Amino acid sequence: MITLSAVTKLYNEGRPNEVQALRGIDLTLAPGALSVLKGPSGSGKSTLLSIVACMARPTSGRVTLNGETVSGLPERFQTELRRTTFGFIFQRFNLIRGLSVLENVILPAAPTGEPRARVIERAMERLAALDLTPRALTPVEHLSGGEAQRAAIARALINDPPILIADEPTANLDTALTERFLDILRAERAAGRTLIVTSHDPRIWGAEGVDAVIELRDGRITHEITGGVA
Amino acid sequence: MSTWLNRQRALADFTLAAMGRRRIKNAALVMVYALVVFLLASAMFFAASLRHEMHQVLAEAPELTVQRLIMGRQDLIDAAAAERIGAIRGVSQARPRLWGYYYDRISGANYTVMVPDDPDLMPPPGEVMIGEGIPRARGFTWDGAPLFLSRHLGDLQRFNVARTFGTDSALMSADLILMTEADFRAFFGIPEGLFTDVVARVRNPNELGKIVEKAAIANPDLRFVTRDDIERTYQKLFDWREGLMAALAGAAVLAFVIFAAEKASGLSAEESREIGILKAIGWDTRDVIAMKLWEGGLVSFGAFLIGTIAAYAHVFVFKGALFAPVLRGWAVIYPDFTLTPQIDGLQILTLGLLTTLPYVAATVVPIWRRASADPDAVMR
Repeated sequence: MITLSAVTKLYNEGRPNEVQALRGIDLTLAPGALSVLKGPSGSGKSTLLSIVACMARPTSGRVTLNGETVSGLPERFQTELRRTTFGFIFQRFNLIRGLSVLENVILPAAPTGEPRARVIERAMERLAALDLTPRALTPVEHLSGGEAQRAAIARALINDPPILIADEPTANLDTALTERFLDILRAERAAGRTLIVTSHDPRIWGAEGVDAVIELRDGRITHEITGGVA
Repeated sequence: MSTWLNRQRALADFTLAAMGRRRIKNAALVMVYALVVFLLASAMFFAASLRHEMHQVLAEAPELTVQRLIMGRQDLIDAAAAERIGAIRGVSQARPRLWGYYYDRISGANYTVMVPDDPDLMPPPGEVMIGEGIPRARGFTWDGAPLFLSRHLGDLQRFNVARTFGTDSALMSADLILMTEADFRAFFGIPEGLFTDVVARVRNPNELGKIVEKAAIANPDLRFVTRDDIERTYQKLFDWREGLMAALAGAAVLAFVIFAAEKASGLSAEESREIGILKAIGWDTRDVIAMKLWEGGLVSFGAFLIGTIAAYAHVFVFKGALFAPVLRGWAVIYPDFTLTPQIDGLQILTLGLLTTLPYVAATVVPIWRRASADPDAVMR
């Protein structure tokens, strides 16, 4: 269970170019659910996602994870959470160019000190499940959009995090690839993972299996549907 | 412990893979760096070996050399002085020596002419034994070519060469001419009973200071030079030359550190983005810094290894060809000799610290600033 209480976020605080990205957000995200944050560009979706995932700190307010406050944790513990609790799929996938798919996938496991052979075995299983085995040694810049996204999914899942986060995952995908992505999301949800996705793509927030849709505008929640959408 | 090792291995693997993407750039960096190490290491190896040779040679030398001074200049000393010195309490042996310099107008070189003590090194009358540098300076084209020495225009003195010394003693004998006492006196016009200086040995080297102190009071016209004095003079000479090379190499190190700091502080957008990604997917600031330490360590250790091995080969295989003229002195006759490798752990450690630490520090510090930012801030 993730809860946000009166969360605000200011960028460039106190400067002429100050921006208030979030204004008093109160939100509860259920465990094991597929929640979608929707809204136009600049509505605060990605900022909210960053704060939930301990990548940024709220200017005020509090974020708790399973009852524990995480928003005020020191950097080291937030990093630990990012490594063990959250898996990320970034909008532009953010794979590291020049490295192979396999090298990218095992990156989040590097600081864990887990034996390399075991990490590689798990990575190959993930790649096999995502039909990427033949591309394991291919440099990521040679992948198609769909392949790059699946590589990003494999990387997000390598440490088996209970929460998977995706920021605008279908922004660059056609319908077939979007459907493929939704299938993967549903499979992960069925496996018990909590999924939080931002999107302004109706194919995502209107899809079967979405448990909650939270609409944001100008840093505020304007609409919230929970308990099954489609 | 194994977790720590696994983590380090994973970080090193990533570092190697990441460096592999910019092979040419990194190879060029290592080469430039290795060149700097090479210069510094060559200077250190060369000077250390020369110092070692000097110690070896001076270990055999008599503890005391006595010269006669007139108006502050060295003058010939008579045989009676040798007897007076020999009679000083604590002196076990004192003997006068005949030696001098001969300027060869033909080759422009200075030769050291001596009357040897060792009967095995005494040539027959009218003949000389010469160092290996003299036939080279004179351009002798065949074995047994006689040595003609001229003291002034119209003068020509012929000496047959009884023996030419090999290169194993070249550091000391390259410019040496040995001849009999009679030939020496005749050639330089030195009257009987006068000598260049007197060398003495003492029974207990610990008493040398006291012996010199007493002898100097009793013989105010004589100058007493100890083996330590000579060693100190050589030491200063080598230190000065090594210092000259080290200063040049130090300037190169400084230039390289500035270059490295410039490179690291001007992180490319791509590198900044990568650090942001790594932090976002769960790498700690320490992990990013450890990765950069691996990178700095691999580059600097690789360069250190290449530079040191190349310097070893340069000094001990190729006889320090690049800067031997600076380090061993300016002369027409360069001794043709092979240095004995003299390397100690402390020397290597000093070299390692001098070369690797500045680079690692110059690359890691700017990364630390970047890596300690929030991943969200790094990504934007």
